[in-house]
Amino acid sequence: MAILADNTETLQQTANEQGAVPGEPPLRADRVTKEYLNGARVALDNISIDIKENQITALIGPSGCGKTTLLRLMAGLEYPTYGNVMVYGEPVLGPGPERGMVFQAYTSFPWLTVRENVQHGMEIQGVSKDEQRDKADHFLKLVHLDEFANAYPAELSGGMKQRVAIARTLAQGPQLLLLDEPFGALDAQVTWEMEEMAVDIIERESKTVVLVTHDIQEAIYLADRILFFTRQPGKIKADMPMEFKKGRRFAKKEDLLVEPGYVEMEKRLYTMMREEIQGRIG
Amino acid sequence: MNDTQQSISGSEAVTNASLDGEAPEKGPVFKQPKERFLGLRGSVDRTQSMALGLLGVVAFFVAWEVAHILTPENQQKFLPSVGQVVGKITYLFAEKGYVADVAKSVYRIYVSFFFACLFAVPLGLFMGSFVKLRALINPTVGGLRYLPAASFVPLLLVYFGPTDFAKLALLFLGCVFFLTALILDNVEAVPKELVESAQTMGAGRWHIVFKVTFRSAAPQILDSMRNMIAVSWTYLVIAEIVAATDGIGAVMMRGARFLHVDIIMGGILTIGVLGVLTDISFRIAGHFLFPYMRVRR
Repeated sequence: MAILADNTETLQQTANEQGAVPGEPPLRADRVTKEYLNGARVALDNISIDIKENQITALIGPSGCGKTTLLRLMAGLEYPTYGNVMVYGEPVLGPGPERGMVFQAYTSFPWLTVRENVQHGMEIQGVSKDEQRDKADHFLKLVHLDEFANAYPAELSGGMKQRVAIARTLAQGPQLLLLDEPFGALDAQVTWEMEEMAVDIIERESKTVVLVTHDIQEAIYLADRILFFTRQPGKIKADMPMEFKKGRRFAKKEDLLVEPGYVEMEKRLYTMMREEIQGRIG
Repeated sequence: MNDTQQSISGSEAVTNASLDGEAPEKGPVFKQPKERFLGLRGSVDRTQSMALGLLGVVAFFVAWEVAHILTPENQQKFLPSVGQVVGKITYLFAEKGYVADVAKSVYRIYVSFFFACLFAVPLGLFMGSFVKLRALINPTVGGLRYLPAASFVPLLLVYFGPTDFAKLALLFLGCVFFLTALILDNVEAVPKELVESAQTMGAGRWHIVFKVTFRSAAPQILDSMRNMIAVSWTYLVIAEIVAATDGIGAVMMRGARFLHVDIIMGGILTIGVLGVLTDISFRIAGHFLFPYMRVRR
């Protein structure tokens, strides 16, 4: 346990040394436009946002609104056509381990055991074997997979595979967590369990999180702030801090449902969603 | 009204019975409809599968034997019986040092294929990983696939004479370009998300090429090799026709000169058996190399 605490400290130190400029937000999109097909399709139209430290920010909107595109720009997997994405003031020029990403598709390496998957990011960074083991133990416990450490991904359920992905991403020691519809491929009950687990984990590890989702309830439950995107071209329709939650996070989803202000927020989001998809179904 | 009440009291009775610990009687054993032999996606267990496979093999030899019997007696030497061919193979092994010929052919196949893999695997891997490299090389390699390997025979003879090297070269040319194309496909089929997640973990290019892309495609690459070495076996006779002194193909050509159909068919049978053994050895290799492919939930 003592070792673990030490590790976390070192990690934070390196994070600060690596360019956490005081006053700069962990993530900033500065007048970002993303065009495809030489401008025939505009996925993101001049977006400027600051992501706040230790907040969970949900990007939500109808299908094809560019929310995933923005997340991929933040990850450095794609580049903007105009503008800049910046991490602590530094422009993003490619992917990096300080921005951990969880994908909707299962991305555990099938040829590695669960433990080896979780250690893989640390291996890339040249972390010592002992430290790899200790951290893998810690994060496997955190996602309740300690008993499956030696299993292969093919032996796991969809929810468990996503837990491997979450543990692996946390184990690489990221400053930012980018979640691209992480529970999109799971069934409703598993999604619900995963959402509650995510709240618990993010609370314990105190991370800055950007979550892309199309699930309104999920966004309200997880997020401290919701950015609602319009469809093509993608713009921010509304920037909504979840004030009714009064800065709290809820361990149980049903406790949130009876919170004053919840129903109004849900209705507001459904209304916005309807405005966006109006007349475009079928 | 009466009906409803009855059914309600009926269901109460059942509930009470189960609460009392008296388990209700099980329903009758379900009689499954009889499964057709050609049932769509029907089931086949291990024993059944082996039995059916064996049946197919036996049927083949029975058909052969029947064809032999139906052949007019004065023509029968052109279609010898199964027994005659097997007898000839035994004779070749016992009296003619056939083992050395078989060993030579096996050596030629495996050595030429080893070099084909040495060429095709890195090339397919790099073309699949680096788009510009693919654009540079693939049109050429793709085109070379269409050159008939047999047409290289005279060329190789001029270059290398009736040497072992000429034979190895032909076997190499017969499969290397197809193998490269198949491996390129295998590499390109690696899910994009695996590569991207490795990138977000901070992996560099070479780490991704060797430790993600290659590892991910490896089981399919082995499968491609298994399929291509089968093609290699089919080129064996062509390779060994040319000024051959040893090898299964040479034995067959000598047989042909004296109209010894039993020797020719013995050679064909030998190649068939060796091919099947090669296939099995690749499958066994896959079984041990990729244990994670065997596990299921």
